[in-house]
Amino acid sequence: MENRSAPLIGACKNYEEDLVLYYYGEIGASEGGAIERHLAQCSPCGKFVADLGHLLPQMAPKPELSQPFWDSYFRETVAKLDAQAERQNWWRRWLAPMNGWLVPAFGTMAVALLALVLVLEKGYLPSFTDTTSANIPAEVLVDSNQLEFFKSLDMLESLSTLEEQDGAKPERKTSREGDSQVA
Amino acid sequence: MESAQELGDEALVALCQQGQGQCFEVLVRRYMEKAFHIAYDFTRNKETAKDLSQDAFLRAYANIKRFDGRSSFYTWFYRIVVNLCLDHARRNGRVIWESLDQGTEESGTPRQLVDGQHQPDQEAIAGEANRRAAATLESMPNKQRTAFLLRNQEGLAIADIAKVMKTTEGTVRVYLHRAVAALRQSLVEFV
Ligand SMILES: [Zn+2]
Repeated sequence: MENRSAPLIGACKNYEEDLVLYYYGEIGASEGGAIERHLAQCSPCGKFVADLGHLLPQMAPKPELSQPFWDSYFRETVAKLDAQAERQNWWRRWLAPMNGWLVPAFGTMAVALLALVLVLEKGYLPSFTDTTSANIPAEVLVDSNQLEFFKSLDMLESLSTLEEQDGAKPERKTSREGDSQVA
Repeated sequence: MESAQELGDEALVALCQQGQGQCFEVLVRRYMEKAFHIAYDFTRNKETAKDLSQDAFLRAYANIKRFDGRSSFYTWFYRIVVNLCLDHARRNGRVIWESLDQGTEESGTPRQLVDGQHQPDQEAIAGEANRRAAATLESMPNKQRTAFLLRNQEGLAIADIAKVMKTTEGTVRVYLHRAVAALRQSLVEFV
């Protein structure tokens, strides 16, 4: 059998890698010049680049899709985005009142714990007239409040992330173009 | 929306981050074909590709406030698409590729690897080359295939592929070269 076109065979070994990059336009101008000079005088390397040009674009043909496909793809994506935003808002609304009391609650708890630690470390019990917070420097109070505030924000974030990620097929609550006023 | 379409990605992202969520729709229009095609290259299934690429948009939008502009929007977004595709591949085992000589779902006709007059033996050769090219792509390690698909199918620059894959440009070059070497290997006894 005539060995007319075994593809991608016979390029100079030390050029092969550069030829792939050259084909993809990923070679700098100076190296590009050297490769072109080599290509001008080396037919196996020339054939190698030509083979790349034949073979690579067809490795995985893309489906040819019509404009209506893209239009409906776009509408569907926007509907999914709306549904996601809707659910996110629902979580936020639901958590909003909780956020109002969670922050001070966490803050108070942190202060109480800190006080307990201080008490245990120092080995004495404060008199009942001392309030726990009075024993703690103001900066500590502020910091622990802020810390818990940031933590509760994190919780909101991760809840919304979880909510975003649940279910690949969210129910479509928002109206899609096309199906008008079903509810 | 007329003017939003003329804005660059970064400006659109900034508007989204400021609460103008409808600007994200321009980014959807701009990148939906690329996102779909990447997912299609990984899955070879139209419905799956649609779901995965749409999920990528949902994830990008949900995390838009975390986008810090250190990379371009599209490399950030491509990373989301690719990660979803790789997750999908992991969950579903090996990607099942339709044999390319079956043609694509849409066109229904086989694409020819060999140009020119279609004499019967040439068509047989083209069919065989197609089959082998598909098998080669299927057998590539995930990272190699990812690099190859992003460069070959999506036309991303090596520098951008490195960002998408969180690796070095040198590594991407190696992946590309190996992909071509694998293709050559599969065609070596061919013809
Ligand atoms: Zn040569």
